[in-house]
Amino acid sequence: MILEQLSGNLVHGLVLGAVYGMATMGLSLIFGVLQVVNVGHGAFIMVGAYTSLMMFKAMGLPPVVAIPVAMFIGMALGMLFYYGAVKPLVSPSGSGIRKPGMKGFGIAAGSFVALMVIMRPVSLVFHLHFAISLFVGIIFLYGFLLYIYGGRRQEKAPELTTLLVTFSLGVILEEVVKQIFTSEARGFNWDIGKLDLGITVLPYTKIVASLGSLGIAVLLYLWFRKTRAGMAMRSVVEDDVGARVCGVNVDWQFALSFSLGIGLTVTSGVLLTMFIPVGINPYMGGPYTLKAFVIAVLGGLASPYGAFFGGVVFGLVENGSYTLFANIPGLEPFAMTRFFSFVMLLVILLVRPTGLLRAK
Amino acid sequence: MMRPVKTYYPILPVIISYGVLFGIGIMVPGKWQLVSQLAFYCALGQAFNLFMGMTGYVDFGYVAFMGVGTYGMAVSIYYLYDKGLGLGLIVIGLILAAVFSTLLSLAVGAVALRLRGAYFAIATIGVNEGFRFLIEGARIWNGADGMIFYRHLKTAFGKQTAMALSTMWADVMVFGVAVLAAVLTLIYMRNKVGYALTALREDEDAAKVMGINVTKYKLTAFITSAILAGLLGASAWALKLTYVYPEDVFEIHYTVEAIIIVLLGGAGTLLGPLVGGLIYGVSKYYLSIVLPGFQLLIFAPIIIAIIVLFPEGTVGIFKKRIFGTPLEKYII
Amino acid sequence: MSLLKVENVTKRFGGLVAVDDMSFEIGHGELMAIVGPNGAGKTTMFNLINGVFPADEGRIIFEDVDVTNYPAYKRAHLGIGRTFQIARPFASATVQENIAIGGMFGAAGSEINVDEAMELADHYIDLIGLKPHRDKPAGGLTPIEKKLVEIARALAMKPRLLLMDEAMAGMNPKDIDEMVAFIREIRDTEGIAIVALVEHIMRAVAGLTERVIVMHQGALLVDEPTQVALTDPRVIEVYLGRPPEETHAEG
Repeated sequence: MILEQLSGNLVHGLVLGAVYGMATMGLSLIFGVLQVVNVGHGAFIMVGAYTSLMMFKAMGLPPVVAIPVAMFIGMALGMLFYYGAVKPLVSPSGSGIRKPGMKGFGIAAGSFVALMVIMRPVSLVFHLHFAISLFVGIIFLYGFLLYIYGGRRQEKAPELTTLLVTFSLGVILEEVVKQIFTSEARGFNWDIGKLDLGITVLPYTKIVASLGSLGIAVLLYLWFRKTRAGMAMRSVVEDDVGARVCGVNVDWQFALSFSLGIGLTVTSGVLLTMFIPVGINPYMGGPYTLKAFVIAVLGGLASPYGAFFGGVVFGLVENGSYTLFANIPGLEPFAMTRFFSFVMLLVILLVRPTGLLRAK
Repeated sequence: MMRPVKTYYPILPVIISYGVLFGIGIMVPGKWQLVSQLAFYCALGQAFNLFMGMTGYVDFGYVAFMGVGTYGMAVSIYYLYDKGLGLGLIVIGLILAAVFSTLLSLAVGAVALRLRGAYFAIATIGVNEGFRFLIEGARIWNGADGMIFYRHLKTAFGKQTAMALSTMWADVMVFGVAVLAAVLTLIYMRNKVGYALTALREDEDAAKVMGINVTKYKLTAFITSAILAGLLGASAWALKLTYVYPEDVFEIHYTVEAIIIVLLGGAGTLLGPLVGGLIYGVSKYYLSIVLPGFQLLIFAPIIIAIIVLFPEGTVGIFKKRIFGTPLEKYII
Repeated sequence: MSLLKVENVTKRFGGLVAVDDMSFEIGHGELMAIVGPNGAGKTTMFNLINGVFPADEGRIIFEDVDVTNYPAYKRAHLGIGRTFQIARPFASATVQENIAIGGMFGAAGSEINVDEAMELADHYIDLIGLKPHRDKPAGGLTPIEKKLVEIARALAMKPRLLLMDEAMAGMNPKDIDEMVAFIREIRDTEGIAIVALVEHIMRAVAGLTERVIVMHQGALLVDEPTQVALTDPRVIEVYLGRPPEETHAEG
């Protein structure tokens, strides 16, 4: 009985694992090239899930069609965020822009006051609070304008700052999506039949998602191995100084990898909705961030292929452990599985930190 | 010759600020709610700063320490209310909160503090989720159903005292945690711990070579910060709300708030979390009326702007301005 | 009795043997240099001596204590000090605090409290002549000033052995001569053994040291008094290549 259950679940785990793997490749790619851990990873998966949902609901298009769209949206988002927030922190040549002086500050203050006048504070009691939030708002807009009109030249920033920035980018995405779609969980139903394997029944959607993930992974592999652009990116992973000496435009490779990494991540959100087409909400990404970290660490963090295989392993372990927990009375198997993935992360980090750090 | 900067004067502005804030809460009718909220943010910032600001490591799972602290107080009241312990119940609650957060910080620290930068963040980001799902999954302390213990509190103390405890004394305790965190921060800064932390924040390898046992000092800061978080959870959440649900007290948004507060005020400074907490608390309060639901959307870009443009934070910038003036010895 | 004994130490990184079966000794108060071309394994040797990472094989004995498996901070407590190739003072801390940190946690650290360390720091600030910069953050100093702060920080640790990684790289001849005189002076006043690590600047090696160890491809090539070592044909070959058909060593 339990064995039957287990083998059935393992099949699901294998199929889901491929999708997990694909969902982590972007994280590994960005870490490999930029040495940045995208702490907001899950939020980008969420964007993909909404892309898939919207195309299905609004246009009646199946998620398969959403894949290239998500890739495009993701790469565009990646470029936007890279030049908007990440570049000044990681770019080997610094941001190299000028300080705008009082003019920028004036524009910032002015536009914020204008914004607040439109919003119209509720009553006079809030004047003090208004003044303080004005101050905060000015910092924000001033910062934003510094990007546009220039800012000071920066040394390469410490890791801490990139973590906080990617984390904030994730929060921004979540909040924007919440404003647009509310925080209500949504879902859709794309039914194209089921495949009966004897030990378990697999919907074709899951098989498509799994094969799609595998296909994208193979394409990425070929792109890295066979094309000039891919090789240039690989050279940056190996040694960014060396790559620059050999005439590779490292700045552009950073932008491209970040964009590609985000594109892959958003695309994986579409694939995940083929697997689990329900529970789509702005904060759905959190658990995936954690899972992606476990998987990336399993696969050596800087290697997209390692991540793919890590994903398959993780899918098997997750579904296997679910079966186990479901058979222990007094446990909530779903919650325990998520606890287990956290323990797994700690254990891997504990027993193989040297092996992981060697991956650079 | 003693340098003036090595004194304990900088605690004065902190104590005075909390005093004034407390005074406003007591004197001005209808402001206690806001004041206690501000005190909560300041305390959160002070406690978080003790680790993040001093070591330069970001613990994304920080809220987990508040969560287990909340459970410490909850467990004490829920299971021991009929033992006739009187105020001992609250004391035991605080002790349990400290013990739980210490144990968790030791467990997490044992793994995470061996790791650097990005790996540390990866190791900690799941701690709150992990713990939440352990409580839910193994059905510890009622699992996902949570614990509701106002009735227990009433039985133990009588209606009047129970009311006073949750509406007044819980907030006073939050003030206490904030001041305690500030005092501990300054004590650390003035002793070898502080210098060791500065060194390892700037350059961990060089710090090791200087003879600094970095793991020991990181762990010291980590545990202290965790205990403060536990006490904060025990007072600001358990005692004040008189219920606890795992999905509330392990919510990552509190970590986000802590990060914003520390960065706004200035990481690694003494006064920073206080200033950051006030700015954040007041603006959030204001925004919740003017633009409800938009707070995080507004604050997340602010984190980025601060990091890129003003990594020193408000107090950091102010400190530079007053360098060499008589004010210097009061502000760090 | 020698101060430091390195016995058959080997370190590998993946397939690369960075330090290959090195053995040598350093006496009390000795002033010597480890030289060798880029990639010879000098910095790795330093890292092995002060414990940045452990050796794969062999033993390191410091004052009769086997420190092979000691972490870096414990070796610092025993009296091994170190400066880095690119000076790494703690940027946000002031010059005084930087140097005081050395005093607080170094070999004498357990007996020194914060105030005493600050006084000690003042002494070394006078020695390196940076008094006007005492209360400035070290991050804003010039590279040479940073180097001096780092040396002072290492001296405040009260080491018995000081490892100086490329103390003179990037300096002009005048600065080098001043630095050589300064290092000699510290050796004489503090009575500590100093090992300088030098890649190219033979002017410094000749003027500064009494003994030279030449490393080549991770292994010990020559261990002789300075004048003998610098004229050794093997050393010249390592630096200049084999005449006449082979080209000179890379810059």
